Amino acid sequence: MPKQLISLTVNGREREVAVEPHWTLLETVREALGLTGPKEGCGTGDCGACTMVVDGRIVTSCLMLAPQANGRDVTTIEGLQSNGSLDPVQQAFIDAGGLQCGFCIPGMIVAARNLLDDNPSPTLDQIRERLAGNLCRCTGYTKIYEAVELAAQRIRGSA
Amino acid sequence: MAQDTKVRKGTGTDGNGHTAVGQRVTRLDGAAKVTGKTIYADDMKMPGMLHASILYAPHAHARIKSIDTAKARAVPGVYAVITAADLPHYNRNDSNRQGLIFPDKEVLFHGQPIAAVLSEDPHIAEEAVELIEAEFEPLPEVLDAVAAMEKDSPLVRQPLRDVDRSEARGHASVETEETEQQGEPSNIASSVPFERGDVATGFAEADVIIDRTWRSAMVHQSYIEPHSTIADCDVSGELRVWTSTQAPFHIRTELSQAFGLPENRIRITATEVGGGFGGKIYLTELMVAALAIAVRRPVKYIMSRKDDMIAATPAPSAHIELKTGMKRDGTLTALRARLIYDSGAFPGADMLPGCILIGGYYRCDNIDIKGYEVLTNKVSVGALRAPGAHNATFAIESHMDMMAKELGLDPLEVRLKNAVAEGDPMPNGQTYPAIGLRECLEAIAGSDVWQRRREVEAMPNRGVGLAVGGWLGGLQPASAIVCLNADGTVNVTVGSADITGTNTSFQQITAEVLNVPLDMVNVETGDTKTAPYAGMSAGSKTVYTVGRAVKKAAEDLRQQMFELAMKRLEVEPEDMEVANCQVQVKGAPDRAMTFKRFGKLSTNFGAPFPVIVGRGAITARKIAPGFSAQAADVEVDPDTGDVTLHGYAIAQDAGFAINPLSVEGQMQGGASQGIGIALWEEMQYDEHGRLLNPNLLDYRLPTSRDLPPIETIIVEVPSEEGPFGARIVGEPSIVAGAAAIGNAIDNAVGARVDEAPITPERLLRSMGKL
Amino acid sequence: MRTFEYKAPETIDEAVGLLKEAGGSARLLAGGTDLVVQMKERATRFPYPGTIVSLDRVSELRGVDFSDAGGLRIGAGATMTDVATHPAARERYAALAEGAGVVGSLQTMNMATIGGNVCNAAPSADTAPPLLVYEAEAVIVGPNGRRTLPIAEFFRGPGETALAPDELLAELRLPVPPAGTGAVYQRNTPRKQMDIAVVGVAVALTLSGDAIERARVALGAVAPTPLRARGAEAALQDQTANDETFAKAAEAAVQDSSPITDIRASAEYRRHLVSVMTARLLAEAANRAKGPA
Repeated sequence: MPKQLISLTVNGREREVAVEPHWTLLETVREALGLTGPKEGCGTGDCGACTMVVDGRIVTSCLMLAPQANGRDVTTIEGLQSNGSLDPVQQAFIDAGGLQCGFCIPGMIVAARNLLDDNPSPTLDQIRERLAGNLCRCTGYTKIYEAVELAAQRIRGSA
Repeated sequence: MAQDTKVRKGTGTDGNGHTAVGQRVTRLDGAAKVTGKTIYADDMKMPGMLHASILYAPHAHARIKSIDTAKARAVPGVYAVITAADLPHYNRNDSNRQGLIFPDKEVLFHGQPIAAVLSEDPHIAEEAVELIEAEFEPLPEVLDAVAAMEKDSPLVRQPLRDVDRSEARGHASVETEETEQQGEPSNIASSVPFERGDVATGFAEADVIIDRTWRSAMVHQSYIEPHSTIADCDVSGELRVWTSTQAPFHIRTELSQAFGLPENRIRITATEVGGGFGGKIYLTELMVAALAIAVRRPVKYIMSRKDDMIAATPAPSAHIELKTGMKRDGTLTALRARLIYDSGAFPGADMLPGCILIGGYYRCDNIDIKGYEVLTNKVSVGALRAPGAHNATFAIESHMDMMAKELGLDPLEVRLKNAVAEGDPMPNGQTYPAIGLRECLEAIAGSDVWQRRREVEAMPNRGVGLAVGGWLGGLQPASAIVCLNADGTVNVTVGSADITGTNTSFQQITAEVLNVPLDMVNVETGDTKTAPYAGMSAGSKTVYTVGRAVKKAAEDLRQQMFELAMKRLEVEPEDMEVANCQVQVKGAPDRAMTFKRFGKLSTNFGAPFPVIVGRGAITARKIAPGFSAQAADVEVDPDTGDVTLHGYAIAQDAGFAINPLSVEGQMQGGASQGIGIALWEEMQYDEHGRLLNPNLLDYRLPTSRDLPPIETIIVEVPSEEGPFGARIVGEPSIVAGAAAIGNAIDNAVGARVDEAPITPERLLRSMGKL
Repeated sequence: MRTFEYKAPETIDEAVGLLKEAGGSARLLAGGTDLVVQMKERATRFPYPGTIVSLDRVSELRGVDFSDAGGLRIGAGATMTDVATHPAARERYAALAEGAGVVGSLQTMNMATIGGNVCNAAPSADTAPPLLVYEAEAVIVGPNGRRTLPIAEFFRGPGETALAPDELLAELRLPVPPAGTGAVYQRNTPRKQMDIAVVGVAVALTLSGDAIERARVALGAVAPTPLRARGAEAALQDQTANDETFAKAAEAAVQDSSPITDIRASAEYRRHLVSVMTARLLAEAANRAKGPA
């Protein structure tokens, strides 16, 4: 099939990409745009490693077809930091030890940031519920909960 | 809610006076990981790269009649289709999973790779695979390990020869070897017996005997990053491989033997591993290297999740018949076990450690342990964090609770009474060095979960249970280089893959020895061409061995500086010390030379000093087993069988926690895998040996909603040889989960399930409700 | 994935036109959480689509609104998140909000649509039992115009619906539940989230005092389609709302079900769960019927 041109905003930048209809948004971001932060852990929406924000909501980008991203506003892990400084969520994950191999982390941090954007003071249960779509095999999640609580505290503290 | 680590000191430990080790340090590579900048193998691309898509055999056992690749080759965009006949020459050994790329005659498990399609477009490669026409003649499928041991069972495959167990040794080093298959061909690949005393006498003395069979399912490491490998062999003749692996030097040796290429013409880069857990040692590299050699272009192979579930190296299922006897006073009197591990179609089920551990937690005068590694027409197995141990521990730790219950004894007391300690014999005759099993039991008693158990037990359908688990650990030589830079900062180069934050621990060790701030030290894992040898990052031995080498290299660097300083400081090295980023005279810190100065004096034009490079190389001959005790607080829905985990605690002996933050992470991570194995994880096969749940929907990893925060208690009983007394850390934490949860469930509703995972359905049946 | 033509119509009629043109080789794409997975795994119940008709830009299909006269109107393109968080859905159609709220991760809920869930017609679809107990109507648009169909007639088999190849589901309409109605949906899964339902049960009870004026019970994952448990409903009609009645109805619900044994559960276990869950949810629905609206 001939490629189609799609226009979308990625991490605040307007991008135009020629895509095949059978490409996923994940593949498009990784291969055509060179943003290899989001990962493919399963390809079927079961692990969350590909999590991105699309029009304000987190999605599993491995199941979104590239043409569906036309006209959308996409944020990946690469879009969280600004001017060389880490987002408080990113910093909190480092400080709390909430990462090991790192493969789930781009998706996990995007989901955590999205949670705090919606709910700046989540309870532990709310954190656990919100992150259930992001599997981690290394940490057992405990330090991830701590990282999100730490980030929430810090964001509230500087608000 | 942040967990306090209660660091309990065992015997003779000293956590004081340290500036860098023993501190909670955030990971060196943290910033790269949280920004998505870390490069994993699939993030790499190179000019001319082809993607490989693999055709897997659709039968568990079959003769290959023909493979017709014409249609696949004709697809536009397909660069090549490679079957066994098209592979470059390699020294093939059909007895080893990694010794055979594609079979040409016989398929031995469903999912065995038999051909590859290469294309610049991975979608085209995937589509073209569907067009390969392969014809098979089905052969008898042997799918049950117990039945496979019978004399009249059909054979899984041709008899084995030259079995290569080097990978298994990397996970656990024990002074015993299994007896390989001998005489009449059979499906028993190897066996081992351990005996002591006389079990008949022991059972006769017992006041309670439990005799039961325990089964545990095949489980998958389920690293979130599937197997990912790139290989390239260009006109220079150097074979380059970038791969997600824990064992780059092991791969180099294997590929050297396979292709007859000298090791110095092979360069293996261990890319950042997105989870290994023992399952990323050596699997796809031989095939991808062969494909790269065949086409003289870089080849990338990323296993899909489905393919990884079907055709990687999951952990074996086990069938364990255990009979134990105990006296009224709680003394364990006899233990007889028959452990049957299902190795799949190739040997590799690391059964020795399980056979040792089943009789290795408690003193017992009379033991009779027989272990069997049995072949079946299933995918062959590999290691998952303490291979073989959780299966054996599920059995023995359930028995300990069951016997205690019948005798009215406290489950913690009965374990303390029998727990092994330094000097006690292991079932294979080795003697335990200093270990912390008792200390872990004492520590778990102080956990929140155990402290509230009476309160919890009083609530309907709630219970608390505990279990111990351990791992003996692997041993392999290791080395490290520590270089002084021109500005006095330090670079550490190791060959070990950083799969657990080990590089951060090496930063701490080096900073400790040189008495400098952490950020003066940087650490890198080089590839096999640039880094000195290290054994595989497995067997929990990375800090234990490579850490020792790093310490030695840092000490060597320090000693070189002392010796170079003698003339200018006018004292002997024993009167010098390192402090404040300088070498100074003890008691007279103003008589000093800064590291910066050393850097300049050893690198400038006309420099008076030689370059200052510290070298550390060690061999490890003494194991430093790690034990843990774990406690679970569960609630059972008595009508649906659903189990909710309300709390979990783990106490583990780390010897000396170089980085408590990292050690806690290992404890929680391993415990979560043990919990997954206890309640949800199971590879399910149909009657033709085909995997029914090759995905992360129906192969169930615990989610955040399933796992409450896990409390950690680090115990420290120093090891003899480990750096600062550290012992193995990574693996012991997975071992006790199934038993701890089984014991908690029994405490809650008085029901015992002898099959893991303990699914709601199995639980209801054992409660008589179904 | 094998390639295909991708079309993005902007109106329902345009979409229907594309379906008709493709003569059966086109498939509608909404959230993709079922279809894209099936296409990747080559596990579609139909021949691999030559054309994908995306409904992303058909704004007519979105929207959830409630009126006292018309009840709840849900565009087929409303996401699970839209349905689960809609105030009217949460207050007046609690079982549906519950069903939409358990479909998977938040990521899945943000992408998956109620139309997709219903048209994928898995026996375990989580919005189906609630739609059944609320007696929803499916509004279907084809080349010859609109028609409506009670939701109970919409599911024809595993993966099969009453839609012709050139029709699409445009809307679901749920009448206002009678006063005194309490409803609930729950499902049983091995993990707390992320799984396909082993059994799903929805119950809606309309009480007058303790008398059951109307009962609706629907089951998921225990038959070729989600279905109303008519036997259970008959056992509840005009009875007193108490444990004994609920127990009888629960047994009747087991008779209404015909579960299979698969990798997720055995038929026996599913029957057991139907019994346990129906009894429990009847008690819960009764509580909700009596409690504050």
